[in-house]
Amino acid sequence: MGIAEERVVAVIMVGGPTKGTRFRPLSFNIPKPLFPLAGQPMVHHPISACQKIPNLARIYLIGFYEEREFALYVSSISNDLKLPVRYLKEDKPHGSAGGLYNFKDVIMEEDPSHIFLLNCDVCCSFPLPQMLDAHKKHGGMGTILVVKVSPESASEFGELVADPVTNELLHYTEKPETFVSDLINSGVYIFTPDIFTAIEGVSSQRKDRANLRRVSSFEAMQQDTRSLPANYVRLDQDILSPLAGKKQLYIYETMDFWEQIKTPGMSIKCSALYLSQFRHTSPHLLANGDGIKKACIIGDVYIHPSAKVHPSAKIGPGVSISANARIGAGARLINCIVLDDVEIKENAVVLHAIVGWKSSIGRWARVQASLEILILN
Amino acid sequence: MLNFLKDFEEKLDIKITCSQETEPLGTAGPLALARDKLIDGSGEPFFVLNSDVISEYPLKEMIKFHKSHGGEASIMVTKVDEPSKYGVVVMEETTGQVEKFVEKPKLFVGNKINAGIYLLNPSVLDHIELRPTSIEKEVFPKIAANKKLYAMVLPGFWMDIGQPRDYITGLRLYLDSLRKKTSSKLASGPHILGNVIVHETAKIGEGCLIGPDVAIGPGCTIESGVRLSCCTVMRGVRIKKHACISSSIIGWHSTVGQWARVENMTILGEDVHVSDEVYSNGGVVLPHKEIKTSILNPEIVM
Repeated sequence: MGIAEERVVAVIMVGGPTKGTRFRPLSFNIPKPLFPLAGQPMVHHPISACQKIPNLARIYLIGFYEEREFALYVSSISNDLKLPVRYLKEDKPHGSAGGLYNFKDVIMEEDPSHIFLLNCDVCCSFPLPQMLDAHKKHGGMGTILVVKVSPESASEFGELVADPVTNELLHYTEKPETFVSDLINSGVYIFTPDIFTAIEGVSSQRKDRANLRRVSSFEAMQQDTRSLPANYVRLDQDILSPLAGKKQLYIYETMDFWEQIKTPGMSIKCSALYLSQFRHTSPHLLANGDGIKKACIIGDVYIHPSAKVHPSAKIGPGVSISANARIGAGARLINCIVLDDVEIKENAVVLHAIVGWKSSIGRWARVQASLEILILN
Repeated sequence: MLNFLKDFEEKLDIKITCSQETEPLGTAGPLALARDKLIDGSGEPFFVLNSDVISEYPLKEMIKFHKSHGGEASIMVTKVDEPSKYGVVVMEETTGQVEKFVEKPKLFVGNKINAGIYLLNPSVLDHIELRPTSIEKEVFPKIAANKKLYAMVLPGFWMDIGQPRDYITGLRLYLDSLRKKTSSKLASGPHILGNVIVHETAKIGEGCLIGPDVAIGPGCTIESGVRLSCCTVMRGVRIKKHACISSSIIGWHSTVGQWARVENMTILGEDVHVSDEVYSNGGVVLPHKEIKTSILNPEIVM
């Protein structure tokens, strides 16, 4: 059990409209963090994982979206979970660590002992209570959730090398050109409040160097952070990389699924991953039916209570159907996301696709993607 | 083949005799082979028909035409849009007398081509040796040179159905002509669109939409919710629920699975089984195969 004074705060980075452009055209209609996966907005999944953290006091969402885009969601989720969730808008880019520092006073209001930092577009099982325990044992400033990926894809991420016994982070490189390690940074962290000191340190170091450049022309020729303002601090290059090997940072490895939700295509896969997670954590959310009174359901399927599905339709596996959708007689849906108000007429077939809000699929039509993902709007 | 012919012998009350080539004899040689069977001493002309064409077969009119010109041989010709694909018959417009044949001409010489329907006097057989011989290249040019070959323009539709794509077009033309002549043979009902012919022993389920230009053979089962258009479904085929087939030929005793989609000149041979939810875009599938994964681009599956 946690100590009485222990208070934990979670911060979820949600990005902004100019970021995550790969999620277009879907992100034209809805902020990416609110796009539904397995019947719930994307950001709901890390939030609901945070609920499991003992002594969780508050959740903050930090992003560049206008406050009104998140106002409704934040108030309803706070109500549902009986947990304060607050959206904080960044006024200008501060980098992944700088953003956290920008709201230091708000985050430290309740004097938390630990701060979780999560990226909204990460799809994983979020083993946060286990990370907290491991972090306390390590006794460092931070613990990074890491995952093994295929060596070929590792260079798209931050690669880490860690001590297999102590789990200390020994080396960290962001998107290296040559192979360093197949263990990568999953985008989920836990820190003690010392993180703010570390970020401050980077800021002031940069200020000093800037001053030095005004004095020494030799310094002026140094490339690295010449163009970055002092309060722009990146978590990977400015904090994790320099602190590796200094007994401050540790890792915790997850053996479960892990994906990044960068493109609409990935959202179909991630929706299916979360649906299969529901099978263990909240099976009451999944649909069932045998084709007699209710439509035949195969595998993990989510159907919003207001959606109408004809009993002769066959749905699944890996299907999520949103509010007010109408699925006609004899339709077949496999591995797809059907958004609000969609009409799928009789005998139509939809595979590996996202059917956008208010779209309709005609009788006997077939919508199928093999390599590319099809999005209809 | 022989069983099939026996059925027709009974149905039509006529005698059917077969002459089988041991080696291919071209388009004229087989006539020489069957010489004894063709000459009955009456001196009357005999018809020669190619089985891979389809038309209205105005044979009575052809006999009249043949007797009126008094030549040795009559051929049916048909007007086509792209004559260079075929052998063009150059003829005198009013009498129909044939001047010459030009095989696949590069420049336009005429738009009438050999329709593969002939009416020949027994004397033509004297021009044909018992060896691989082409009737268009060797026999007819000789008769034409003697000014004894006449051509009649075929009224109505004509199609060379040697290619599957043309077979589907031929089906459309045939059903169209059936609609004009004896429309009672065509199917009707709320689930029928355009010209559709369904064998009396075939079963069609609920909620289907069949047509236009569909032929369904004997013993077929079309389950509920199926969509068929521009296709031929041969004897004994089962099309499962919610499937969708267009512009394709489904071979004898094949099955098409639930929610499968078959289109764009897909040809399934005998006993081919397309699994549920599979998509075939122009697949040409040899007999006795199972198709378990989608065919995204036209290809032959062996």
